[in-house]
Amino acid sequence: MAVPVLLAPAGTPEAVRAALDAGADAVYVGLEGWSRGGARRELSWDELVVAQSEVASAGRSLQVALNTIPKPEERARLFDRIPALLDLGIRDVIVNDIGTLAALRRRFEDLRLTASIGCGAQTVADVAFFQDLGAHAVVLPGTVSPAEMREIRTVRGISVEIMVHMVEEFVLLGSCWMPSYVHLKPSPLPNAFPSEAEGPGETPEGALRGLRQTGSVKRGGVGPCFRICQQPWELFASGRRAGTQFFPSRQISRIAEVEAYAEAGVDVLKLQGRSLPVELLSPLVRRYREAIDARTTPAAFEARWAALPTAWTVVGR
Amino acid sequence: MSPFELNTTIANLRDLRASDLSDYDGVYLGDIYCRLYEANFLEQLGDLKEGLHILHEDGKKAYVATYAAPRNDFLPKVRKILEASSAAGAEAVEIHNLGILRIAHEEFPELPVHVGGFANIYTAAGAEVLRGFGAVRFTPNYELSLDEIHEITTTCGAPLELLLHGKMPLGISDYCFLLEYEEKWGVKCPDLCQKELFLKQGDWAMKSLGKGILSGKDVCMLEHLPRLLAEGHRHFRIEAVSESPEYRREVAAVYHTALDRTLAGDGDVNEGSWETLRRHARIGLCNGFYFGRSGMDYQGLRPEALGSLPTISRMES
Repeated sequence: MAVPVLLAPAGTPEAVRAALDAGADAVYVGLEGWSRGGARRELSWDELVVAQSEVASAGRSLQVALNTIPKPEERARLFDRIPALLDLGIRDVIVNDIGTLAALRRRFEDLRLTASIGCGAQTVADVAFFQDLGAHAVVLPGTVSPAEMREIRTVRGISVEIMVHMVEEFVLLGSCWMPSYVHLKPSPLPNAFPSEAEGPGETPEGALRGLRQTGSVKRGGVGPCFRICQQPWELFASGRRAGTQFFPSRQISRIAEVEAYAEAGVDVLKLQGRSLPVELLSPLVRRYREAIDARTTPAAFEARWAALPTAWTVVGR
Repeated sequence: MSPFELNTTIANLRDLRASDLSDYDGVYLGDIYCRLYEANFLEQLGDLKEGLHILHEDGKKAYVATYAAPRNDFLPKVRKILEASSAAGAEAVEIHNLGILRIAHEEFPELPVHVGGFANIYTAAGAEVLRGFGAVRFTPNYELSLDEIHEITTTCGAPLELLLHGKMPLGISDYCFLLEYEEKWGVKCPDLCQKELFLKQGDWAMKSLGKGILSGKDVCMLEHLPRLLAEGHRHFRIEAVSESPEYRREVAAVYHTALDRTLAGDGDVNEGSWETLRRHARIGLCNGFYFGRSGMDYQGLRPEALGSLPTISRMES
């Protein structure tokens, strides 16, 4: 039985180092302007360069989330910059849109493409779809059980990642546009790549500014999800107030099932939390490292050690 | 033959029999959110066959919806739905989930596929990918503006289906919070979500179907039919899965008449039509997404007359 890779989040250069020190096999980061940001932090290009150097020196790998859904003009701009990532030695990219995934597959043979959790895959058929599409990996939510995973692992030719530590919100990831229903407006498109260091507005690319839609979870921008779902609701039934309702939300910590997922054939155990400060990230990664390495009975682990403060489930992921 | 298609959604045989569909050209059968929805066509395959027969006898196009967020254990039933749809001569199936799309493409290639709004079609590139899996019509993601939709139409070439009126899907969950009210209300599933349920928070509201979240306001494009037709759109949905037979009949009559008049060169809408829509809209009207604004905003000349003031987002500074 292969040992699953431990893939840890990092939102800052310090978090990258902390994740490596705590035993992550791989680290994923967001690139400013091109990942779903919000409460999750992103790295600037210069920070990405340093992070890649440190991760490579440690013999680990770095994944970059480019998981907005870019408009056609943005997409061309993004594709023009992919060679810069490859030049850095970064091959692993996380995307959130089937059109982007298919186009990257065609244009950049060296890229390893992961279908983000936001793609909404949950079933054996979904995984087969992404395998057909040419994805190297697909991320499934931690709500998928080891039993379901065994069936999913009958699909060959694609790596399967599971987000074993995550917030399960009421609405499924990738299937929510409540925030933009409340608030949506154009927002600037940040400069992320080195060739974009010039000021906005004067260059032809300046005309691309204003393309993003703040409020759209899927399309990036500043503060894409402001957790409107976490507020209390007044429930009215047939015109009469029936009570105050919170949408259920819970933190999933499947550390006790690391062994079961490994047996089911999961390739990567992924942790959510690019917004986590180092003092929370380090023990979380270390605990999962121990669980993977020990490969003993789940009861030997104190899952509460990996639990995070309640506020974390509300603030970000 | 009608120069446009006006269609709607009906979840079960009871509602189908109770509905006057004379102003519709087609109907999607089934509730996409929940397997436990009362007498859901997608679980009662005998009812589904009868529903398809009723629609064909009535000269309507008979479509079959499929679950938007399935798990592994849904898939055997999904295969039976597709098999029954094919055998009964359904004109198409509506698919939101990429895994189900793959199953349909591989196992039921004779069935035309309409891609639903939860499939997250944001760009022509995404639509092109799904055309490769047999899709022939697309409902773009509800967040998209008419300008973005036009871009897909001109690039992709496949027809798009647009939500013309009714409550817009905003999200889907694995969990039904209404079950928490079974004891308190003395009402059991599946009767819980048959109540008219709204969740309100400050100046906005959503309609709940338990696992499905819809906009509280009704999307309304009555003022904008000339633009929709001028841009080549001919397939329109009145989303009425959770509405009464009166809603289905009266709203369709308004739009059918308005579409006929617009095609004849008369874009004026009489006051009686507005009164009908105002009467059926519990919370108000909206169409902001189509114009690059927050989804619950309304763009047009009529909001004051309808008692639905344009919403100033709380998040906007």
